[in-house]
Amino acid sequence: MQTTYDAIIIGAGHNGLCLAAYLARAGLKTAIVERRHEEGGGANTEDPVVPGFRFNLHANYMEFFDIMPMIKDFDLENCGLRSITPENQAGIAFSDGRPPIVLHRKDLLDKTHASISRYSKADADTYVEIQKRTKDFGPLLAFGMYSLPFDGMAEGQAMLLEQMYGDWGITAKDAIKTPKVMIDELYESPEMRTLMYRVSVEFGVGVDTAGFASMILLAVPWMVGCWRLAKGGTHTLAKAMSQACYAHGVDLIENTEVDRIIVEDGRAVGVVARGTEFRATKCVATNADPKQTLIEQVGEEHLPANWVRRAKNFRFGPSHVLATPMFCLYDAPDYKSARWDPDINKTHYTVVGYDGPEDCIRYIRDAYSGIVPQPAAGTWVNSLWDPSQAPPGRHAATGWYFFPSASELSTEEWEEVRETYNDRFLDRWAQFAPNMTRDNVIADELYTPDQMERKNYMWEGDFSNGEMALDQMFANRPWPEAATYRLGVDGLYLCGPSAYPGGGMHAAPGYNAYKAIAEDLDLPSPVVTERGY
Amino acid sequence: MTLKDTYDAIIIGAGHNGLTLGAYLARSGLDVIVLERRHEEGGGLCSEEVTRAGFVHNMHANYHTFVDMAPPVADLDVRGHGIEYVRPEVQMASIFDDGSALTIHTDMEKTLASMSRFNEEDAATFERLYGEAHGFVDLLLGTLMYQPPLNVKELTKALATFGVEDRSEFLSVKLRRETINQFLDRHFKDDRIKAHLAFHGAVCAYTNDVPGLAIGYPLLVGKIDNWHICLGGSHRLAHALWRDLAQHGGVMWSDAEVTNIVVDGNRAVGVRLADGIELHARKLVASTVSVEQTFLEFVDPGDIPEEFAHDVKTKVVHKDWSLFSVHLAMSAFPEYVAAEFDPDVNRAWVVNLGIDSPAKLNRDWAEIRAGRLVDPQPNAAVNSLYDPTDAPPGFATGLLRQFAPFALADGGEGAWDDMGRWYGQKCIDTWRRYAPNLTDDAIVEWSVFTPHDIARKLPNMVRGDWMMGEISLANMLDTRPLPELGQYRTPVEGLYMAGSTQHPHGFITFGPGYNALQVIAEDLDIEKWWQQI
Repeated sequence: MQTTYDAIIIGAGHNGLCLAAYLARAGLKTAIVERRHEEGGGANTEDPVVPGFRFNLHANYMEFFDIMPMIKDFDLENCGLRSITPENQAGIAFSDGRPPIVLHRKDLLDKTHASISRYSKADADTYVEIQKRTKDFGPLLAFGMYSLPFDGMAEGQAMLLEQMYGDWGITAKDAIKTPKVMIDELYESPEMRTLMYRVSVEFGVGVDTAGFASMILLAVPWMVGCWRLAKGGTHTLAKAMSQACYAHGVDLIENTEVDRIIVEDGRAVGVVARGTEFRATKCVATNADPKQTLIEQVGEEHLPANWVRRAKNFRFGPSHVLATPMFCLYDAPDYKSARWDPDINKTHYTVVGYDGPEDCIRYIRDAYSGIVPQPAAGTWVNSLWDPSQAPPGRHAATGWYFFPSASELSTEEWEEVRETYNDRFLDRWAQFAPNMTRDNVIADELYTPDQMERKNYMWEGDFSNGEMALDQMFANRPWPEAATYRLGVDGLYLCGPSAYPGGGMHAAPGYNAYKAIAEDLDLPSPVVTERGY
Repeated sequence: MTLKDTYDAIIIGAGHNGLTLGAYLARSGLDVIVLERRHEEGGGLCSEEVTRAGFVHNMHANYHTFVDMAPPVADLDVRGHGIEYVRPEVQMASIFDDGSALTIHTDMEKTLASMSRFNEEDAATFERLYGEAHGFVDLLLGTLMYQPPLNVKELTKALATFGVEDRSEFLSVKLRRETINQFLDRHFKDDRIKAHLAFHGAVCAYTNDVPGLAIGYPLLVGKIDNWHICLGGSHRLAHALWRDLAQHGGVMWSDAEVTNIVVDGNRAVGVRLADGIELHARKLVASTVSVEQTFLEFVDPGDIPEEFAHDVKTKVVHKDWSLFSVHLAMSAFPEYVAAEFDPDVNRAWVVNLGIDSPAKLNRDWAEIRAGRLVDPQPNAAVNSLYDPTDAPPGFATGLLRQFAPFALADGGEGAWDDMGRWYGQKCIDTWRRYAPNLTDDAIVEWSVFTPHDIARKLPNMVRGDWMMGEISLANMLDTRPLPELGQYRTPVEGLYMAGSTQHPHGFITFGPGYNALQVIAEDLDIEKWWQQI
């Protein structure tokens, strides 16, 4: 087995795969050292409950396929990547059978307008207008995401807000508001507010976090409208990325946990993993968080005091802490609200469990402050769109519960949550969709934040592996001195979600880490002129 | 971006045979795509964290017996891809109800010493049998397994020409009239030794009461101490084979379910996928899935002779028993009561529990074939004894396997969903009788994998038939799975069978894929860069 490479990457999550592919294409002999037996990290699909019912245990929706550079640069479609963009993107149902709200794909804004209009024509006008104004936001967002972060990004976003919505009286100063305040200002109907709160937290935009208001008018509406499913499950994205890596000669060394990063003369020159020394002649990059990397694997003796302090103070959760239920179903949920609009029965992402804004706000505040919330979820029945994800005629339903950080509950408490919470949610679900009784469930399981921590080292169960707060975002991520993916030791780079722009299936940290490495090693730039990033 | 829709070779199924064939063809310069229905490649090379994160369980293939003789291991540089095999010192053990235990070691002296404690004469017989078989086994198995199958008559003739019978009574062709039980009765005296040896046959799918299988038994004895663990889980081997394929220009698509094999003028020219994509094959299509799927589902009835279709429907024989598994995450290693008799049982990789005589096993077969569950006497494998990477430090994985019917007399295979947990508990209770330290506290979590699950996960294992075709004299060599298919060619030109339905059989042998390669190379005039045995 080869043990000397030009580049060694720690972790075969989708960011690691992305970086590896670009490095290998640039001619570097590259290896990825992966702790688990399987590649993909959060791009994970399994069928652990009943064979044939597939569940995405982490990432479920793909909103960046149109802008993710690697997809085109490495022709991932011919590596097996296929996707589906559901017509009915996001919706909310109600237990009293009130009409649902269904937000459709960007080419179906009339339907979206009609749906919101059942509650408020003004809200419908607002939402549709925001959709129109953000229609071409993709390339701009992409330019921001697939670039090394620079100072003033947050301010730039605020100015963009004013530029795009100045005629509504919105100024750059509004950007400092919380999402809840902005949503309340934009929408009058309780139903629309409820849906928007929930949709916002999906992206880690805490409803009460000051400084996140612009997300509600820029990125969030753009993303809701181009949600896709990776056909076969999210893991097929990792498969296609691996395929591209292998075609360029990348080696993947699975089942090998890195104990130590070797630093010689102030330079990272390899790793020690499972007793074997792997040497890297040009660079080492890691998908792990910077705290574990610097404190445990590099060692404080190799770091300036300020970096040690920064690393130790890096925070995880609660903004992206989730639990994933897995329900093997005979039939897909049939909502009371569907009598008004059958589309809610075939909506990609359906919010269940809130009858009004206060339910949703309490839920989010509970979860963020360490309390297991009253049952509610954003749910997906992927098999409605992709029959390969369940046996013929059956359905695989999953969802996201926002939960307290892993350390907020004891092992026994999590155990109890796993044993009881799905039942509680099911009781609630049946109030919204009467067929969702125990009889409709073939089998179910719940995957909780403490398990996510164990499986993927997503500390606290935080899928961004680092809290999304203004002081840990943009050019402050993970901290100002480390914002260019360079980790304080020569030749050592950060390429995972703890780096800008954070978690999610966009591979931007991996792509940007390549940019940084390319600068340092004089490798070809990945930027394609016509796309601009 | 346009989808590339034409390849030289299309291979259906990314199990180890499909990937092996694909990698050889890719290395031969062909443009190859391997299509996998599941979201994960590997087929029987399937390792999952079904109990809890960090515990890697082999859902199907656990024992790799042929890694030191299968040509693809070297040809495809499996070890260069990071695969490590361990051959446990204490390979197996049987624990009997009288408190005694028999252990099989890689050190034959120790095995013989263990057997001598039961019966010295039997130990001497075993030494002679092992010695005779072992002298021939690699040559014989190599010649037999890694080339397209000989005809039984030709084989008999060849054995006579070599004078094999003069050199070894145990390799007599007359054995083809005996069951393994009869063979054991003729040569051994102690019931417990016979029970262990009969069990060994059964675990290898050579059911001890099936007439004719004595012929293969000496060869099984020759490999009795050659069981290997694939470090980090069997699935790693699938990754390695895929990596080899892809690094040589081939492609594997996951979630690519074939629904049709397209035949034009009696020639296979491509396939259609469930999502409508059609791929064309310039040179060949190879199927590694079941005969039934290939010819009754994928190929249009009009494209094959009626008599052939009839044979597929009526003459393909499947195993009449399957396997029930319990996967355990444990915080302790088993400490057997029988360790007082022989301390090495605590280090035995696989332990047979409480089968004291072939008669006991025979009674079980009768029950199992009638669709009834027997009082479980599972075998217990603890890979973590030899694989420190398949569980977190201080923890262990456990695997209980029990012979079981596919369809239950009461309720068919569907009844497993209600019985699984109950039967799993019974299996654990049995284990606990022999290893009392495995209390509830020592078992962190466990899950079951029933015969029904086998067929649901891998439908090519028809009726939970993990050998993909009965092991019997009538279904061996060139008559496996049907005389018309015995040489990997099919009635459709350009369509080959290359999976475990073919000679030699299931298990991680690489044989079917490797042998189909020889036939394909001959038909397509591919230069053999590999050294054939």
